[in-house]
Amino acid sequence: MKRYNLLLQNIPDFVKHLQAQGEVLAPHTKGDNSFSFDKVTDANNVILDYNRTLQSIRKFFLPPTERLLNYSLTENTFTKVEIENNQRIFLGVHSYDMQAVLKLDFNFSDRTPEVNYLKRRENCTFIGVSFEPDDFHFSRSVGITVEATEGFDIFLNRHENGYEVQVLTERGEGIIKGFNALENAPELAETNRQFKNKIKFNHNRLPEVMEQSWKSPVWDEVAKRCVGCGTCNLVCPTCYCFNVVDNVDLSLKDGSRDRHWDGCMLNSFAAVAGGENFRETLASRQRHRIYRKFKYITDKTGDPWCVGCGRCAAYCTADISIVEIINQLSDEFEQNYLRKSAAPAEQII
Amino acid sequence: MTLSTQEHNPRELYYPEMAEITAIKQYTELEKWYEITLPGGRDLEHQPGQFAIFSLFGIGEAAISICSAPSKKGAFDICVRKVGMLTEKLHQLEIGQKIGVRGPFGTGFPVADFKGKDILIIGGGIGIVPLRSLINHVIDNRDDFGRLVILYGAKNPQELLFPDELQKWNDDPRIEYQVTVDQGSPEWQGNTGVITTLIPGLDLDLDNTIAAIVGPPIMYKFVLMALKSKRLPDENIYMSLERRMKCGVGKCGHCQINDSYVCLDGPVYHFPDIKNLPEAI
Amino acid sequence: MTTQTAPKTKIKIAYFDFTSCEGCQLNKLNLENHILDLLEHVEIVEFREAMDDKADSYDVAFIEGSISTPTCVERIHDIRRRAKILVALGSCASIGGINAMKNLQPIEDVREIVYGEDKYLFPTLPAMPLSAIVKVDYEIHGCPMSIPEFLQVFKALAMGKAPIKPDSPVCVECKLRENECLFDRGMVCLGPITRSGCDAICPSFGQFCTGCRGLVPNPNKNAMLDILTDHGLSLQEAEKRLLLFNSYQHPDTFK
Ligand SMILES: Cc1cc2nc3c(=O)[nH]c(=O)nc-3n(C[C@H](O)[C@H](O)[C@H](O)COP(=O)(O)OP(=O)(O)OC[C@H]3O[C@@H](n4cnc5c(N)ncnc54)[C@H](O)[C@@H]3O)c2cc1C
Ligand code: SF4
Ligand code: SF4
Ligand code: SF4
Ligand code: SF4
Ligand code: SF4
Ligand code: FES
Repeated sequence: MKRYNLLLQNIPDFVKHLQAQGEVLAPHTKGDNSFSFDKVTDANNVILDYNRTLQSIRKFFLPPTERLLNYSLTENTFTKVEIENNQRIFLGVHSYDMQAVLKLDFNFSDRTPEVNYLKRRENCTFIGVSFEPDDFHFSRSVGITVEATEGFDIFLNRHENGYEVQVLTERGEGIIKGFNALENAPELAETNRQFKNKIKFNHNRLPEVMEQSWKSPVWDEVAKRCVGCGTCNLVCPTCYCFNVVDNVDLSLKDGSRDRHWDGCMLNSFAAVAGGENFRETLASRQRHRIYRKFKYITDKTGDPWCVGCGRCAAYCTADISIVEIINQLSDEFEQNYLRKSAAPAEQII
Repeated sequence: MTLSTQEHNPRELYYPEMAEITAIKQYTELEKWYEITLPGGRDLEHQPGQFAIFSLFGIGEAAISICSAPSKKGAFDICVRKVGMLTEKLHQLEIGQKIGVRGPFGTGFPVADFKGKDILIIGGGIGIVPLRSLINHVIDNRDDFGRLVILYGAKNPQELLFPDELQKWNDDPRIEYQVTVDQGSPEWQGNTGVITTLIPGLDLDLDNTIAAIVGPPIMYKFVLMALKSKRLPDENIYMSLERRMKCGVGKCGHCQINDSYVCLDGPVYHFPDIKNLPEAI
Repeated sequence: MTTQTAPKTKIKIAYFDFTSCEGCQLNKLNLENHILDLLEHVEIVEFREAMDDKADSYDVAFIEGSISTPTCVERIHDIRRRAKILVALGSCASIGGINAMKNLQPIEDVREIVYGEDKYLFPTLPAMPLSAIVKVDYEIHGCPMSIPEFLQVFKALAMGKAPIKPDSPVCVECKLRENECLFDRGMVCLGPITRSGCDAICPSFGQFCTGCRGLVPNPNKNAMLDILTDHGLSLQEAEKRLLLFNSYQHPDTFK
């Protein structure tokens, strides 16, 4: 691995160097206190020092709304929609959001590989950046450090007056080639940034905790405070559920079949004809969301399907924290099952 | 890291094939039967119990079971209850018009494993629709199977589907057919009562009987209880479950039952695989 | 190939208004860009005044405003008899809207007042949505009503299909647009329990949602009150906020 040093004052030039090679997507300010990944038009507007973006970069691979096909009502025919896969360089991605993309890669290639997502994933370069964990990040608890480089082509590790540039792949090397404003790498002590927010148990024990939590009173307690707004699904970088609707234009002659993000916390997500709603209560929906992150997919892949970005808690207007939920379930598990370890665990599920 | 997608064999999952409606029968006020022909009379190549996603442009898509057996060549059948956007519009279509088809999707009944067994069909309401593909498969390969017992329950006599075939099932000496309705009518001479009332009277060869159950959500629990008191082993029970579906290919998430995706792992389930899923029944 | 889902004939529509803040009035709304396209598919048989000799039935009647006098009651019955599909336009018609704020004294059984023998003695009634008197097939919510939703419903009806009734909260649309949440700017917003369909128009322009499209089905109102009070409103202020557009449908909920 090649290492360099990038001084703060050279960052705009670095961004311009990237822009010469493809579309660059990077964090910008949004609103009063927030950030969002957008296409770079002015290199000076790129922000590398940020806590989290409102939406993760999944929006570039699974857009909030996406046209699946166009049709003509008068002809009763459809045309295919071209899926763009231009060279794109993602600059300033946090380790947990990169891990989330790798998880979505699994979801969209597993069993029925979907060309819409997978094609958009081609020709992407990822340049990671370190961050200072705030009160909501807890990636460490799900096995992702600030400095985790998996998935990145280049990683920028912040130090006092700039970034240590780690060139991780051939692609990364190709991207950086010709950029001369790099210095020799600084001698850095091993960095290992600490997280304030933590899950109590090691994450590999959580499926076991969930196994015993189906009937926990925690679900009802959380449901009392939850308004079912779906925010926690819609901001989650590893959520990928969607709805499909047909839209027609005003001529009533042409239209499109479109999909848009959906979420299992929403009231009618599991409702079918005849009035049956298979997850009618907020408690059952909250439980499903948490199990999706720490049990269902985990049982199949061995990994938690939450990357600890903290978005669901940071953006929940009711201040519901996934870490608190997990820790409450863990406390209960400890009290009910570990203390009386002599008794065999009751099979609840 | 760029993803080399070639190794994943990405597929176009959402483009329908345009197929033609080649026959229509109206069974009840709400239910119609259609014969659908793919371009060139190509076979859908489905298993009994599988479904496909049907669509009309500007209206939407819906999951519908294939209700003909694979032995029907050149076309296949569906039976549709009018409940909402797509199904309502479908009911207005005529012979010769075209609809979009994606599929077949999901699991079917593992009919190869059923060879030599007695088949017990338990269908409630519109649940008889997916079961008809299994029934017809057994009828068309009659010597491969043992007894064919059909229990069919409907709300009232007007709601009985496939009326032309019910008579044949009734008359066929190699089919033990029983029907019941929740509410009779003056002309109704048959059984009244819920479908579970037909179960205690059955004389079953327990180890050699496969039960296939499809019905409204409420039905499963009671049918399972009745079969349990008959001591039919769980391993011999298959059922098809319905959930909300948007994609049919394991992506949209709507059809999940705990960790299972009904469009991939179902709709036909082997009972032992789902009896521990609290959201299943 | 024959046209299957495209409309074949023009639908007959009628338009009426009752007591409203006049904010919705179809003719005033910014529909100009669309009006010609719309007219392709419809024949307008009545506009504002019902004239008996003009048309005795309509495919769709659009009605704005709430019911607040006994004459309104008679008129709405008459329209209902003639209309195959009746659509309420705007919150006054769909949920009683701001007009219903005046009913904050508890509404007795509305129907009894309306149909009781003394009905002509009441010059005004508590403001009510159309659905308090007649069956309403579809509602276009909002104050003023949402144009995208109006077009959506209009297109669906012209195609002969049931319009989708949005039932998720405004937050969903807000998240799809990647807005910064107004709670993070020190405001309070009713988006979490308000019915979507307006494309989160207010939050997208930095204005908190006042709930003009009514509540989602199964709202968790207590949790919403907690959110509002946790973000600085007194309980009284929070209740008042929620009542602004929901006082007809939910007169007692927030007391
Ligand atoms: C595997 C499988 C097999 C099936 N086989 C058959 C079959 O053989 N025959 C048959 O008739 N049906 C079958 N169904 C059921 C059929 O798919 C549904 O009834 C489907 O909803 C019909 O689509 P629709 O557009 O007509 O109804 P929709 O317009 O989708 O509405 C039907 C109802 O579903 C709910 N709903 C749907 N969409 C929404 C929404 N966006 N927001 C809120 N609520 C909504 C509502 O309760 C609504 O009343 C099957 C379903 C599955 C999963
Ligand atoms: S964001 Fe919060 S209030 Fe909204 S659904 Fe999720 S947990 Fe409930
Ligand atoms: S569950 Fe919450 S913390 Fe975990 S990845 Fe999703 S949004 Fe982030
Ligand atoms: S089921 Fe729920 S938690 Fe899982 S991906 Fe879908 S929305 Fe997210
Ligand atoms: S601004 Fe309002 S609508 Fe938007 S997310 Fe926040 S609470 Fe929801
Ligand atoms: S954001 Fe709220 S107040 Fe604004 S139009 Fe939508 S529902 Fe009405
Ligand atoms: S129907 Fe979309 S995941 Fe099963």
